[in-house]
Amino acid sequence: MIPSSPEAREALEAAMLRMAKGDRAALEDVYRLTSVKLFGICLRILQDRKEAEDALQDVYITLWRNADRYDGTRASPIAWLATFARNRAVDRLRSGKVRRGAVSVDEAADLSDDRPAADTMLIDAEREARVHTCLETLDEKQRTPIRNAFLNGRTYAELAEQAGVPLGTMKSWIRRGLHRLRECVERGE
Amino acid sequence: MSAADDQPGSGPELSGDERQAAEYAMGLLESEALLATRGRIAREPAFAGLVAQWEKRLVPMLDDVEGLAPPPELWSRIASDIEDGAGESEVVSLHRRVVLWQRVAAGSAVAAVAALALLLVPLVQAPGPAPAQESAPLVASIPIADTPLRIGVTYIPGREELLVAAEGLSADGVHDHELWLRPPGEDAQVQSLGIIAPGTQKRVPLERETARSMHEGAQILLSQEPIGGAPDKSAPGPVVAEGTLLKT
Repeated sequence: MIPSSPEAREALEAAMLRMAKGDRAALEDVYRLTSVKLFGICLRILQDRKEAEDALQDVYITLWRNADRYDGTRASPIAWLATFARNRAVDRLRSGKVRRGAVSVDEAADLSDDRPAADTMLIDAEREARVHTCLETLDEKQRTPIRNAFLNGRTYAELAEQAGVPLGTMKSWIRRGLHRLRECVERGE
Repeated sequence: MSAADDQPGSGPELSGDERQAAEYAMGLLESEALLATRGRIAREPAFAGLVAQWEKRLVPMLDDVEGLAPPPELWSRIASDIEDGAGESEVVSLHRRVVLWQRVAAGSAVAAVAALALLLVPLVQAPGPAPAQESAPLVASIPIADTPLRIGVTYIPGREELLVAAEGLSADGVHDHELWLRPPGEDAQVQSLGIIAPGTQKRVPLERETARSMHEGAQILLSQEPIGGAPDKSAPGPVVAEGTLLKT
């Protein structure tokens, strides 16, 4: 399957709608089309294969049991699923049951980059989403913690420690960065 | 903070609801702030819309995460878990669960979802309530902070009642305490399980819909409320203790 092809998106949309009607075979299709992407996301957040596997299992079971939550008129099921998986993984991380050391951004990237799969479905097929361009306009001291919070599930306290700045300073950097990010994204919308 | 520290942060900070929504979408909120925000998402469509906007803005960042194939046996685990579970009982209350992503959809989309829900409910409920009486009871033990006391909640699958043991507790005369069910799922709607009767062990009748949401892993929250219980049954007051429903 061609990554992010319109065909792959259509296949996923169709499978999601069938799944919402209670078709179990459709869940397997959704899994086949999205599990590579979602496993990458869970692993990136949780930094532990066992935890990431449990999280992924939890994601698809919850998806099946809450199939009604999918709104078939939404443009991008993969964006919806990616958000869902990321949020579940962050919940798991915040539950306090996951042990995770202080892993640097680079280490985190290494762990999830070791066997990149060719058929990963991209959320933003053309890589034109404003957030990418807008992140580049931020100061590095804003951009790094914002990426690190979103992609690695870091808390304010962890980010402040990593950067060696007081908690209040880190909150201020991120809140200013998010303000600029919103302004920039909205200019392009 | 020195002037040098402040350098990357020139310009206004995000504030108010936008900040709360963004910090939620970023995953930066913890403990009480996180609970309070989930409460707002559940009961304030406008705020839920802000969160959804932020999620949409941020989600393309996940394209920077490389995919990785999960181990082949994971699908079997998921499939067998679904076979075991009474999946049908969880597809409930579609019309009540107006969730995040649906809220930002156009009115017509919401209508479409509602129409789909009408079709879906009879379809998935067709097998009828599972003969779940033989299933293991679900139990939540809710420790009361700084005391050796616990509230015990027992639910026998298939029943429409709950056993609530609150023997050690005494009423303070100023507040009531109310139990809530928070089903698994990050923005599942909380449901009131009623006010605690301190010093008693009581059977509490459940709405059929609530009974169907009693599942392993669901959280039971204890909130502090004005006498008479929460005025708004979709919004608990401050959560003072919580536990998780587990199979015995």
